Amino acid sequence: MSAAKLERLLNLTALLLATTRPLSAQDIRVRLGAYPDETDAFRRAFERDKDDLRAMGVPLEITPVPGVVPAVDGYRVPKDRYYLRDPGLSPEELAALRMAASVVQLEGLSAREGLLKLGGLVGEDDGGVGLAVGALPAGDVAPLFGAIAARTPVRFTYRGEVRTVDPYRLDFQRGRWYLTAFDHARGGERAFRLDRFDSGTEVLDGPRFERPPRSREGVQLEPWQLGEGEPEVARLAVDAAQAPWIVQHLGPGSVLEERDDGSVVVAVTVTNRDNFRSFVLTFLDHAEVLEPADLREDVVAWLEALVA
Amino acid sequence: MTSPAAARTTAPDRVARLLAVIPWIAAHDGPTLDEVCARFGIPRRKLEEDLAVLTLVGVPPYTPDTLIEVTIEGDRVWLRFADVFARPLHLTPEQGLALVAAGTASQSLPGGDGEGPLATALAKLARVLGVEPGEAVSVALGETRPGVLEALRGAATDGRRVRIDYYTYGRDVRSTRDVDPAAVFAHEGAWYLRGWCHAAGGERLFRVDRFVDVEVLDEPVTAGAAAERGGRGDPRGFALAGRVPRATIEVGPAGRWVAETYPVDEVTPLDDGWSRLRLPVTAAPWLERLLVRLGPQARVVEADDPDLLDAGPRAARRILDRYRAG
Repeated sequence: MSAAKLERLLNLTALLLATTRPLSAQDIRVRLGAYPDETDAFRRAFERDKDDLRAMGVPLEITPVPGVVPAVDGYRVPKDRYYLRDPGLSPEELAALRMAASVVQLEGLSAREGLLKLGGLVGEDDGGVGLAVGALPAGDVAPLFGAIAARTPVRFTYRGEVRTVDPYRLDFQRGRWYLTAFDHARGGERAFRLDRFDSGTEVLDGPRFERPPRSREGVQLEPWQLGEGEPEVARLAVDAAQAPWIVQHLGPGSVLEERDDGSVVVAVTVTNRDNFRSFVLTFLDHAEVLEPADLREDVVAWLEALVA
Repeated sequence: MTSPAAARTTAPDRVARLLAVIPWIAAHDGPTLDEVCARFGIPRRKLEEDLAVLTLVGVPPYTPDTLIEVTIEGDRVWLRFADVFARPLHLTPEQGLALVAAGTASQSLPGGDGEGPLATALAKLARVLGVEPGEAVSVALGETRPGVLEALRGAATDGRRVRIDYYTYGRDVRSTRDVDPAAVFAHEGAWYLRGWCHAAGGERLFRVDRFVDVEVLDEPVTAGAAAERGGRGDPRGFALAGRVPRATIEVGPAGRWVAETYPVDEVTPLDDGWSRLRLPVTAAPWLERLLVRLGPQARVVEADDPDLLDAGPRAARRILDRYRAG
């Protein structure tokens, strides 16, 4: 890039930041005195500059220039949306963030630009933690994160249906991203798998939503809890060989009984019977639904159909 | 951290970098050029070019007092009249997410500290971004039993052998093995240990959430047998090299996830949302699980190992025996 282009982009940014009223393209052309004289060439250069500003995340605001008829687009950059609020990170905190970003990355997203804005690259790049972490999928996570922070609703197609939701939180679990959000049409909180979105995510211009003080306590995104049914608590017996894994997976609080042979009985809250049965069957004959009777019967009937 | 190996810095990249550099220099009393270069990852020559351009930047009427004043004395640099760029540009959602997700995930790593500088940095960052700390994003890299990851990391770093009490999910058996660790890594929501397995006499991949226990032995890893150290890997397909028997199954619409989850050689779409999959079967229990879970939504049509043909009903019968005994 030429020094002239760098100079022009910096001066354009400064001009739009400093102005208190929207400036028309013509105003900008005259004040900057840095564009080609020929009108078409000016328009092309100005369009490219606008694209470049947007690519950097500069909040370019377009409103009609006041008092001009017919209406003309006016441009400015509101200071409160441009300036980064200073988080006041200490060198130790900056270094800790850099180290973290060197270990964990999202596909296609670099933490470097963010670190530069926060005060630069401090400390060591390589954590040397002796552990490697594969890049996490990124998909539509960034726009959803932006909408969570800005508290703006989003729209996407899910299971063939257009959903409008207030996004509350993102959880990466078992290799997938989940969105917890308030579904407008359903009037309640739902969990969505990002890899099952049928469309991109559209961030809406609607009014900012109010987030409840805390969305669902310790979000549980087990497949058998992704249902709309009434919650029921199942008692599941698991053999000794698989017991450590199930206790680790569900948490020690789920253990109802530890038997002498090393097997355990755990409590599982179920709202999606199909997914629960599928989970139980991954243990083959090393697990058994004890209660409630109709859930147990559901598993038996499923297996009998398979044998028949 | 990987930065794109860009042969050329694009215009927005270079401007964006400068918009971060300007407020930092302006807020510090004459930092050295070398310090600015190191902190912002800029070659010295590029920085000097950028600073030369800055002397032409300001706000109307572009008189000397409204243009940025760059003073370089010896090796130090000062900026004045840069008030319009007093603060860096806000973080984009991508930049905020990259930092918050990395920080949140790293807190769960061994040595991750709930109260250290990373935790306080994340809390400060959350406030600036307008989210509650720990509320907007959580990242679970993989389940492990307490202490297991620490032990494996230590062993991998120090080159010590480990003895693992391991549940082999595919074969449905629990065993104890001695392994020379080569790498410990997280992939798609699970932790893995890659290393030389002395019981198997070859390199193997183990899912850390299937470890019941791990013991770091005094023996060093065997140089000759050691698998290639470090690095990451894609566990899918790892154990499938060589001669693994294949099965061909047909799955209904509800079994669409199978082809997304497991390595398959071949997918043939059939009518009514069904598809035919040819896939490697490392051990019979693995296929049994798949078949009993899918129930009427799956059938085996062909198998290298004839025993696999009725794997589903056979497993179902075994499970039913348990229920009937109970």
